[in-house]
Amino acid sequence: MILAGVSSIFGQRIRGFRVVDLLALTVLLALAFGVYAFKTLAGRESADIADVQHQIVDEQKRVRLLKAEIAHLEDPSRIERLSTQYLGLKPVDAKREAAAEALPQIAGQAAVAAPPAAVQPAAKPALVKP
Amino acid sequence: MTGGAISNPLSPAWRWFSRRMWWMEHAFERARASGKAEDDTRLRIFFVLALFSAGFVTLGLGASKAALFSGLGHAGDYVAMPPNARADLVDRNGQILAMDLIHYGLYIDPHEIADPKGTAAALEAVLPGIVPARLDKSLAGDRREYVIGGLTPELRTQVHDLALAGVSFEEESARSYPLAQTAAHVIGFSGKDGQGLAGAEKALDGEIRSAAGKGPVSLAIDLRVQGALQDELDRAASAHSAIGGTGLVVNVRTGEILGMASYPAYDPNDAATADQDHMTNHVAATVYEPGSVFKVFTLAMGLDAGVANVNTMLDARTPLALGGQTIHDYDKDNAMLPLWEVFTHSSNIGSARLGMMCGPSRMERYFKSFGLFAAAPSELKESAWPIINRKLTDNVVASMSFGHAISVTPLSLATGMSAILNGGVYRPLTIRKLEPGQAPVAGRRVIQASTSRTMLNLMRLNVTNGTGGKANIPGYRVGGKTGSAEKAIGGHYQRNLLVSSFAAIFPTDGPLEQDRYFVLIMLDQPKATAETFGFATGGWTAAPAAGRVIERIGPLLGVQRVVLPGETGAKPPVDPKALTGDEQ
Repeated sequence: MILAGVSSIFGQRIRGFRVVDLLALTVLLALAFGVYAFKTLAGRESADIADVQHQIVDEQKRVRLLKAEIAHLEDPSRIERLSTQYLGLKPVDAKREAAAEALPQIAGQAAVAAPPAAVQPAAKPALVKP
Repeated sequence: MTGGAISNPLSPAWRWFSRRMWWMEHAFERARASGKAEDDTRLRIFFVLALFSAGFVTLGLGASKAALFSGLGHAGDYVAMPPNARADLVDRNGQILAMDLIHYGLYIDPHEIADPKGTAAALEAVLPGIVPARLDKSLAGDRREYVIGGLTPELRTQVHDLALAGVSFEEESARSYPLAQTAAHVIGFSGKDGQGLAGAEKALDGEIRSAAGKGPVSLAIDLRVQGALQDELDRAASAHSAIGGTGLVVNVRTGEILGMASYPAYDPNDAATADQDHMTNHVAATVYEPGSVFKVFTLAMGLDAGVANVNTMLDARTPLALGGQTIHDYDKDNAMLPLWEVFTHSSNIGSARLGMMCGPSRMERYFKSFGLFAAAPSELKESAWPIINRKLTDNVVASMSFGHAISVTPLSLATGMSAILNGGVYRPLTIRKLEPGQAPVAGRRVIQASTSRTMLNLMRLNVTNGTGGKANIPGYRVGGKTGSAEKAIGGHYQRNLLVSSFAAIFPTDGPLEQDRYFVLIMLDQPKATAETFGFATGGWTAAPAAGRVIERIGPLLGVQRVVLPGETGAKPPVDPKALTGDEQ
């Protein structure tokens, strides 16, 4: 039955054209249009991708330039000069350095050496005329 | 059959294919013979159809793949490297030392320029480095010409903003050294063609070029250590008006060079116009008579060979007359000195006597093993050969015992001393970073571990009780040896022209296998100042600089500060028994 149905479709004609040929032509045209449409869309996407790639390359160049600038700005001799000139920094004296575990001992020594001074009451603030 | 095998010596697959084709060709005859000629035609049509279908399907798949997976998304993954491309150079912590940057070349097309004089004036105002003659020639020429290269993006923008007709730019890759003079000698520089010409750029040229576009090449130097070293060297050299100077910081356990400085320095970005002397890396390329720092080698030899121990008494009561020369002591103690005091008093007479007790053959063997008779084995191509006497006469042996009659590079000196202070293993110093967990090169044992320990103790003693007191930074257990060699000019030693040095090691305590840092400061012809009370010797000029370097780099290197009782007060008592090492 099925075979007979299929063969009847193949045998049918519309205005002299076989149905199966018309179907094939429709599918072919649809495919051609689909390929064209997708290709166009893909081309647009490709252009966008190329544009982004170009931007990435430009940014990479810029990043490298900035890295070079950072390296220049972080030059130890420059930092040294600035920290001495503006901040008055210098190496810490060894006596001022202690390991964390030595802190209780240092605190104990400090307590024995200098008991804390008695707390003085805070001075009254001077009256300020409005 | 044999003939068939010879006429058809091809593979079984080919034979099968030939047979099938033959069967196809004869199908028509077979079909006609069997009375079914139409079957043959159908078969052929089907076969041709199948072939075409297969072809179209293949083409269709290929086209779909090309359309859908064209690889555009990966276009940025591959970047064509210019022929002169080099990998970035970074320090051991990844800080940039040298990198390729996009610069711009400026081109002029005279056909598009209506006002050559105006164009020339505008360009010269923005680009001071432009060569006027070349610019004029390009403007008067008849084709587009390259005028100047190496323009930074800022300069390019400035020129671009002038809106000059006929002026265009092309990208070019150029090597850039953002730190300018910092670490200039160890980094070196490369030419426009991408060829390394000096320093690490030359030493690791192949590695740097092959790593271009892949990743950076790491050097052993620590930029923070380098900065402190270079700063203190510059400061000391300037304060004492020295004509030159060298500084070196080495991890003696691994042999890594953490800092290397040569004074005066130069800017590798302007290598083409820099002074040749400034460009010379005096650490590796210049030989000096090192003076008393060499006594470290003499004592290590004497102790290791069993010729003497720290308590062996040496006669320094009278100057030592040998052939045509008389050896004096700087401090005229005129006494019998135990060996440890020969070291702390830096007695030339005592050292010479010890050298002569060892003898020329033993000295040659030991000094060769310390690498003092050859160029320091280093990646740096600048590493220079020493100047040595061919024959080790008594006179030469005595002189070499306190660092005269031999000239070596500071790099050689540091390599040999590292062996003495790291437990006794000689290994080349390296500018390459050792990755965490990577073992240093095996090296070769040159002295016993116990001798190394004794030398560390003697170095420490020389700082607490001897000539190196100005390098005694509280908490770092610094050891060291001073050196003040008179320079020989025209065959005569000049009393007032010294090469003053200080070779330091810290910390001197702890296991022999631990990280330990060697610091060398050497000043060429330092002058005395009011602060040094008229002295220009190593103890007054180089030792304080070495101390300041240690004070600054100690925390960076993670050396724990331990302030020992009485360290900052009077000299501690000497216990000679405690000086001798007992390591196996």
